Formats: sequence, C-alpha cells, structure tokens
Amino acid sequence: MTWRRWKDKASGGLFALLTAVAVLIVVLIGGGLWWKARPITRTHSIGQLLFSSTWNPFDGRFGFWGYIAGSLTVTGLAIVIALPVSVLAAVYLSEFAPVRLRKWLLPFIDLLSGIPPIIYGVWGVLTVVPVAGYTALSGGVVLAVMIFPLLISILLDVFRTVPEGLKDASLSLGANDWETVRKVLLAKSKSGILAATILAVSRALGETIAVLMVCGNVATPPHSLLDPVYPLPALIANNYGDMLSIPLYDSALMLAALVLFGIIFVFNAISRLVLHRLERRNY
Amino acid sequence: MRHSTTLILAVAATLAVSGCGSGKEQKSISISGAFALYPLTVKWADEYKKAHPDVKIDVQAGGAGKGITDVLSGVTDIGLVSRALSPDEIQKGATPFSVTRDAVVPTISATNPLVKDIQATGVKKENFYGIFISGDVKSWSQLGFTSKDPIHVYTRSDAAGAAETWAAYLGKKQQDLKGTAVFGDPGLAQAVQKDPDGIGFNNIAFVYDPATKQPSAGVVPVPLDLNGNGHIDPDEAVYATLDQVTAAIAAGKYPSPPARELYFVTKGAPNPVVTDFIKYALTEGQKDVTASGYILLAPEKITEGLNKLK
Amino acid sequence: MPATYHTRKRRLEARVFRVLMLASVLVIAASLGAILWSIVSKGIRSLNWEMITQVPGGGFYIGKGGGILNAILGSLYISLGSVVLGLGISVPAVLYLNAYSRQKTWFAGLARLVFDVLFGIPSIVYGAFGFTVMVVLGLKTSLLAGIVTVTLMIVPILARAMDEVVRLAPPELSDATYSLGATRWETAQVLLRQSLPGILTAILLAFGRAIGDAATVLFTAGYTDSVPTSLNQPAATLPLAIFFQLSSPMAAVQNRAYAAAIILTVIVLAISLTGKFLQQWLSRHRI
Repeated sequence: MTWRRWKDKASGGLFALLTAVAVLIVVLIGGGLWWKARPITRTHSIGQLLFSSTWNPFDGRFGFWGYIAGSLTVTGLAIVIALPVSVLAAVYLSEFAPVRLRKWLLPFIDLLSGIPPIIYGVWGVLTVVPVAGYTALSGGVVLAVMIFPLLISILLDVFRTVPEGLKDASLSLGANDWETVRKVLLAKSKSGILAATILAVSRALGETIAVLMVCGNVATPPHSLLDPVYPLPALIANNYGDMLSIPLYDSALMLAALVLFGIIFVFNAISRLVLHRLERRNY
Repeated sequence: MRHSTTLILAVAATLAVSGCGSGKEQKSISISGAFALYPLTVKWADEYKKAHPDVKIDVQAGGAGKGITDVLSGVTDIGLVSRALSPDEIQKGATPFSVTRDAVVPTISATNPLVKDIQATGVKKENFYGIFISGDVKSWSQLGFTSKDPIHVYTRSDAAGAAETWAAYLGKKQQDLKGTAVFGDPGLAQAVQKDPDGIGFNNIAFVYDPATKQPSAGVVPVPLDLNGNGHIDPDEAVYATLDQVTAAIAAGKYPSPPARELYFVTKGAPNPVVTDFIKYALTEGQKDVTASGYILLAPEKITEGLNKLK
Repeated sequence: MPATYHTRKRRLEARVFRVLMLASVLVIAASLGAILWSIVSKGIRSLNWEMITQVPGGGFYIGKGGGILNAILGSLYISLGSVVLGLGISVPAVLYLNAYSRQKTWFAGLARLVFDVLFGIPSIVYGAFGFTVMVVLGLKTSLLAGIVTVTLMIVPILARAMDEVVRLAPPELSDATYSLGATRWETAQVLLRQSLPGILTAILLAFGRAIGDAATVLFTAGYTDSVPTSLNQPAATLPLAIFFQLSSPMAAVQNRAYAAAIILTVIVLAISLTGKFLQQWLSRHRI
C-alpha cells in the first residue's frame, strides 16, 4: 500500500470516528436526560405527564400540557411573523438592493446574531410589552426578531445558488422582475427555504431567556394570543438553578427537557422526510 | 486541515502551560449559590481577605439549588441559600446558618388612583389570600374602594426566595401564587410600576432607593393591616422610609414571613477555616449589612449561630 | 400596445410586492436598530476605561468601583477555546459526510438530522447536562468544564453551517479531482480550500452563540471575580455579568450591565469584521 493510500485510509477512519463522536452527543444527552427523568416516570404515567395541565410540583403533580401548548404557540407565532418578512427582505437584498445597502446591512445583521438573548429580552420588556402586555403575542414578536438574522443569512445563501442564467431567461421571455422572483427564484429555492424554516423552528423552540421575560409565564393552555403563555425552556430556566437539589423537582425539569427534545426530534425527522421528497423531485 | 491541526496544538500547549501555574498550598474557602446573597458575600470575602491575606475565598453565584448541590457533593465549602431547606436536603446533611435578613413587601404602582386610600386602610391578610391565592378578590371594589377597575396580579416566574416567602406569609408555596409571572425582582417591580391596577411584591431593596431611603420612583408598598381593623394604626405605619421598615423588621413589628432569613449552608459541621469566616460574617461582618441593602439579624439569632459553630 | 387588464394586474402585483419587500427590510432594520440603540443609549455613560481594565472590587455589585475584566477575559477564553475544539470535531465530520461517505447514505442523513436536533436544544439543557456529569464525577466548575460544554453546544452549529457550504461546492470539482486520481483525503483538502470563506461564516455564527450564552456557562464555568490563571479555575463570562448587574436594585449597577453589553457587542463586531476581511482575502482561491 502506498503512503497516499495509507493516509487516505487513516484519515477516513479518524474522520468517521469523529463524526460518530458528534452524533453520539445526541445519544449522550438524550440518555442523560432519560436517566435523570426516570424517577418521575416511575411514579407518574406518561399520558398524565404529557396531557395534564396541573403543575403543582410540591404536591407531586407534574402536568406538562400547559408548557407544551405554550412552546408550540410562541414558536408558531414567531415563524408566521418572521418567515414572510425574512423571505421578502432576503429577496430584496439578493435581487434588488443597491450593492452599498447590502454591504452595509449584512454585517449589521450578522452582528445581531451575536447579541446575547437577555438583551433581546430587555428590549422586549421596554418596547413590546407596553403595547402587547405579558402575552403570547409579545413572546412571538420578540422571538421573531431573534430569528430574523438566522433566517436571512441562510436564505441569502440559498438564493445565491440559483443560477443567474435561469433568471435572465425568465426576464428575456418577458416576465417582469417580480414574476421572475416568484416563478424562478422562489420556486427553485423551495427546499432551501424549507430547510431554513426547520432550523429557525428548532432555534425558536429552544430559545429561553428572552421569551420568558415577556411571555407572562402562566402554565394554562392559552385561548388567545393575548393570554400569557409558559414555554418549556422557560420552565427549566426559571426553576433549575434553585430547585436542582430537590430530587423529584430536578427529575421533573429534566423530563421537561426530554419532552422538548422529543418535540424537536419528531419535528425535524418529519421535515427531513419532506425535504428529502422535495429534493428528489427537483432532480 | 494542516492549519487547524497546528492551531489546536498551539492552543492546547498554551492551555497546558497556563495550567501548571498553580501549585502553592494555601487555605481556601469556596462558596457558591443564590444570587440574593452574592453581593454581600463578595463584600464580606473582600473585607475578610484584608485581615487574612493567607486565605483565598472564591465566591460564585448560580442559584440556591446549585449552592446546595455543590456543598452536598463536597465541591464547595459554603452554599448561599435564599429559601427554606427542603427535608430531602436537610436529610443529606445540609446545615444552615442565618447570616442576614431581607424582607418582601406587597407593592402597587405609584400611578394607582387609590394610592392614598390604600395606604390609609391597608390590606388584610385574608384579602391578600383572595388576591394572590384563591383568586376570589378580582377588583378593587371588593376591597371596599370606590373603583370599577379590576386588580391585575403579578408574581415571579423564576423560583425565588422572595416569592416563596410571600407565599409562606399566606400559608402557601410559590406554585400557588396566581397572576402574570415576570422574571426577576427588577422585572416584577417594573411590571407593577407600569400598571395602575397592578399589585405584586418585591424585596425591600427594590422598593426603596438605598441612597435616599424613600420608595423609589414607581412602586409604593401596600401596608399590611395586621390587626385587621380596616385602617392602618400608628404602629402599623412603618413604610415611609427604608430605615423605618428595617427598624420595624428588626423590632419584630413587621411579621416574618414576609421577612426572611438568608443562609450560609455547610455540609455537617464546617472545618476551622470556614468556621472562622462564618464567625466573621456573624460578628464584624454585620457592619456591612445595612449599607449593602440587607437587614441586621436579631441579636439572639447571631448568638444562636455562634453557638452552633462551637 | 395598449395595456390590457392582464398586464396592468401583473404590473400592479409586482409593484405591491416591491413595496412589501422594502417594508420588510425596513421592519427588520428598524427592530434590530432599536435593540442596538437601547443598549448604546443606556450603557454609553457607564462605559469607561476602568470597566475594561479592572476586576470587580469588593463593593462592585453595590455600585462601588471596579470593572469586568474578569468577564471579558473569561468570555474570550471560553468562546475561543470552544470554537477551536469544536472545529477539531466538526471539520473532519463535515469532510467525512461530503468526501468520504456518499452523499445520501443513511448515516449521513442521520448525522444531519442529529445536528439539526441539537441545534434546537436550549443551552440550559447543555448546562444541566454538563453539571450533572460534573456532579457524578465530583468536578468543580472550571474554565475547562465551560469550554467542553460550550463545545458540545456549538459543534452542531459549526457542522450544519459548514455542511451547507461544502455541499454547495460544485460537484464538478470533486469529480475532477477524483478523475485526476486523487484520493479522498486529497479531495477533502480541495473541498476544504474551496469552502474556506463559508467556513469562516460558520465560525462567526458559532463564536457569536458561544460568547453570548449564559445558561451553559453558569453551571459549568461558574462565576467569579478573579481572572482564571489555569484551566481548572472557575471563570466569569460577559452574559452572566450582564445578567447579575441587571438584577441589581441599583440603577448605577444596572447601567453597567448595558455598558457590559456594549463591550460584548464590540467584541462580536470586531470578530465579525475580521472574519469579513479574511473572507474577502481568502475568496481569491475560489473558482
């Protein structure tokens, strides 16, 4: 075997190992959460834990439904707000904006993904809460603003992959610029937009501190967007630091993490399947 | 690829070299726990080190639960705790020493049109129960005030000694408090301040300005009608300034709870180095208490703590 | 040619969407601008030389003198350390997925799914996980524990962001290298060089997440007023410094939180600008 072949084999083995290590992180975290959450699943049925909305930990009642509903509400709302705005803005920035505006705006958007979440929370309390109160709506708005940078940077990358030639062809056939965007750019980017949305939803589901500062934290499933909500990560963040030394409480919080983990996992698995189908159809 | 390998090696080498720096044995105390006690403990540690330069004190914040977990697993010497210990924790050997006090007062917005009336009549404990626990009291008129407005109740979202103590005053736990839940003491004060119909509760440090000793702009304390006679008697009127409230708490004129003690927790009996530091906190250290925004312990509590250390 | 109803409708639609697009850009720029403004306007007056050159004095948290050098250095150590460590895992992983295994194997699919899932796990769960492991092993909070836990958190970010870029490298490129008789290892090097600018973007994203996160480091790196001198000492971080000071009753201390936020933003900006500069410089090699 030549030196080159040997190097190829060795690097292949090492790289596969490191990939496996990275994949193992999820097994480790999932396993760790399961191990910590076990005490509570022994005394409570899963159905009762998931679908009851009574949360009285010191009386031994742990119902997660209010929190699950809260997480789904703010995340759904944030995507409904952020996705159209981000797509429109990204289209503008990639197709229409003057070069100088783009050069000036993009680093600024990058910069905002580095601002710590607590600052978004403070901003939400100062400017969103006075208008919308401590409600699901405020949580959704703050969350939407937080995922703008993520969505836009991915969408711009996606749009960049659409060949110029296709757009030129569309224009030369007499389509106006908006029609070209709709029928070429957006149509070609469908799977990329979906992938970006998946990441944004994952991120929104896990976002913690900024949301909990504005959402009112009441664990009853909301009836309207103007009701307060209590998402799962907020439950963990509000209580973990103080209660982790009380075994059953700690166990309940780790179960909350496991439930969130489950939601994110199921959501991602389904969307990956859809994405896979879409990509296959495109080729 | 080659570049990143070199980078990793370089960083690893730097880290390894810097890792070899510490070696000399010295007396050290490590402390972690509740945010509520962090500023005062840092102050004490600083002062103590001036007199004992050979002792290294490391103070970390991270929440009461982390403080207790750390101390029980032997990772630290002292846990800072701002809530009552649970039976589980005591059973595992958690030993509390009261080191200072704090108090929670109910608050309303300074923009509440009824401020003057509420300050004259106070609110009875059973009505606080109706507002915060059972939810039966929904409007200011139910308390006998002439107003059509509903009451908006605010509480803490994060597990906190303040909420636990306020609930304990009403014979309940934090989980039983109703209302829109807001994160942190400043958040709760801000929420109440902005809502003319709001009612909440805060640690006194967040109600009074430590410099002027007056209620700070925005929220005013709701007097407790302790004897339930429907108006605030002279000996119940203890809310005008920070000094007046702390004096009332120190003299036992303001009930406990909602006044509360804050603890150093050790695992079993502390070692001599740690004992000396706790002793310092209970004696000389008490001079820093008031200036840092806390309340002096009752003298018998100090004696009790010192006896426990013997 | 007279404008028919149909063409007028088409033109109207284009115009409406043009306005909507502009409005969207405005909404985003305005909300993001408002956030920056709220930090700067509140913090700029508390920002001074002392803040960035000194560690907190004994009375720092009750409004006395000192600075947050401990948190600035702690944050830099942790975010740089974890990005380097994270690259050590994620670069090989991404190359493996794109050059060594065929694109659509079940393992590659699983790996991508796993990274997406990890991307959504809130940082406090990483913190709780790290802390649980440390309690089991009897470890104290330390700089090293913080770096390792933050690494776990950013590996999926690095891997996913880089994967997207490496995947976009023209397939002709790897076809060409293979047809010239190159091994997978050599092809991987070509892919890597081609994707360098995109990798920098990934690093920036990961760095931003690492330096801005509070919950992971709270339980693993701890918080202390001194600057760590070794890997087994606890370390303070900027987001936690902001968090503590914001929860103070004193306005003077709260304002320092905003000053700390300005410092954090400037660090992120500096890293981001350096990245942009490097990106342009490196793009020379792209085909």
